[in-house]
Amino acid sequence: MIDFIQNTLDGITIGAGYALLAIGFTLIFGVLRRLNLAYGPSIMIGVFLGTFIYLHFDAGWLPVAIATVIGAILAGIYVERMCFWAIKEGAALASMVSTFAIWMQLEELVTVIFPERTYKFPTLGEMDYLEFAGLEMRAEHLIMLGIAVLMVGLLHVLLYRTRFGLSVRAVSENPAAARFMGINTGRVIFRAFILASAIGGVAGFLLVATDPTVTPKFGLQATFKGLIAMMLGGMGSIPGAIAGGVLLGIVERHMQAEFGAIMRDMAAYALLFLFLIFRPGGIMAQGVAAREAAALRRV
Amino acid sequence: MDFYFGMLQIVGLHTILGLSAYIILLTGQVSMAQAGFMSIGAYIAGMLTVLAEMHLIPAMLIGGVAAALVACIVGFPALRVKGLMLVVATIAFGEFIRIFWFNFDYQISRGGVKLGPEGGEGFKQIRFFPENGWSTLDVAIFIWVVAGAVIAAVWWMDRSRAGKVLRAVGEDDLAAQSAGINLTVVKVSAFTAGGFIAGLGGSVYAHYTTHIEHLNFDIVMATFAIIYPILGGLSNVFGTILAVIFVQVFLLEVLRPLGDLRNLLFGAMIIVVMNFMPHGLFSAQVASRIKGVFSGRKEGANA
Repeated sequence: MIDFIQNTLDGITIGAGYALLAIGFTLIFGVLRRLNLAYGPSIMIGVFLGTFIYLHFDAGWLPVAIATVIGAILAGIYVERMCFWAIKEGAALASMVSTFAIWMQLEELVTVIFPERTYKFPTLGEMDYLEFAGLEMRAEHLIMLGIAVLMVGLLHVLLYRTRFGLSVRAVSENPAAARFMGINTGRVIFRAFILASAIGGVAGFLLVATDPTVTPKFGLQATFKGLIAMMLGGMGSIPGAIAGGVLLGIVERHMQAEFGAIMRDMAAYALLFLFLIFRPGGIMAQGVAAREAAALRRV
Repeated sequence: MDFYFGMLQIVGLHTILGLSAYIILLTGQVSMAQAGFMSIGAYIAGMLTVLAEMHLIPAMLIGGVAAALVACIVGFPALRVKGLMLVVATIAFGEFIRIFWFNFDYQISRGGVKLGPEGGEGFKQIRFFPENGWSTLDVAIFIWVVAGAVIAAVWWMDRSRAGKVLRAVGEDDLAAQSAGINLTVVKVSAFTAGGFIAGLGGSVYAHYTTHIEHLNFDIVMATFAIIYPILGGLSNVFGTILAVIFVQVFLLEVLRPLGDLRNLLFGAMIIVVMNFMPHGLFSAQVASRIKGVFSGRKEGANA
């Protein structure tokens, strides 16, 4: 029993990192309605910029975190300009293929500059385990959870209390109507992209800092984890992204504890596949998604 | 000379892979599971020739049918999701199959040598071609016989009523349904046919490389499969072939001297093409200029 609670707790903390990735995905998907496969690789660029600063200037965790976020934002801008701004609306597949091409570019860039397999990444400092009633928790994980909650809170304020947030929500709701209301959709998309990349950068930093090695495969993993968490929760929904991330974290953790690392990945994909088939709207299925799903069922 | 034969082999294999995605794309579905279907064909045909010592051709057909069966089973639930959700669902399924092979161990000992797939180590020694003394040219010809058969079949299908039905579903499935087309049958058959072709391609691929492992069939391969028809445009099969030549010969071989820069340029070239020709190199407009057959089609319908 105590193991079960312990695993669930660990799952929630890892899930917080996934939830941040999923929020970034959801923001981009919300305003664009297109899939950005290069989201993970652009975060990876940030992580490697952080590693670079750490290795060459022996920087502490704060400058590394800032560098990670800046790197992710720069790569995100590059992706947005090349794959979404330049390609006309309606050619969603062309956009997806282009993001894939960018992904290959970014991964190649990283392997050329950083030829070794793994690199070190700074931790948040030496920290003890916190113990409570037989449960233990790494302090870094607690910090990760805290930062994730803080980020979600800030994002909520940004989306629901500012004009920028209003315009993002308007574009997500109906891009054409938003344009008629005088919203510069291109600019909103651009800024939402920067916001999503920044959130991704923070998530990348937190995930790598608790497991302090970096590999060029990080981009792929970040894309997959974020995508799975977003889809589990339901596309375009921020509460859904959080729920999906936490669910993914918990399921992965239990699977790993019971059956090992390989079953963990298989379970994540199987869970996603089943969810998409039987509950296409995700955990938070409601409104349009639920109606569409109901309509599909009738057909 | 072997270099050019090798080139010919790669183009042939990737044409088969691209056409397997082409059929499914015609119905407006994007399948990122083609690499997974391909791996099923590859592993099963490999096990049949190596472990059961079967001849290549029946083994290929069995591999193709097995992949088609799996594709058919995936096709049914895939009906429930559309667009982006289908992309992600098929990515998930493809990765699921890949991890399955990563765990798959089935080895027998023959003459002191262990044969068969060995989990993460992959499946080595699929030596049907070298054991039977086939030269590179023979293999290239064989690949092109298979690829030619697939091209001819898909081209014929495309021109027949079946092709019109697939395209009708791809353009607007609601309209197609109200015209009396059974969406379930059409979409699932497209998946099954795509799975069969991918399985066939996979079984040839396994014997061509002689060593397969789960990493051969990752999302990169899956994306290549759909890049070809998208880059080539969906107006007919020749677009896909053109795209395979563009990617495999021009982008990957002609640019090879550039070394590490190649992949960077590769990405840039794909983006340039997609930016200026979002409907592919051999788009409906180009085709209509050549033939004037598709001139009535709505622009951008395949996007």
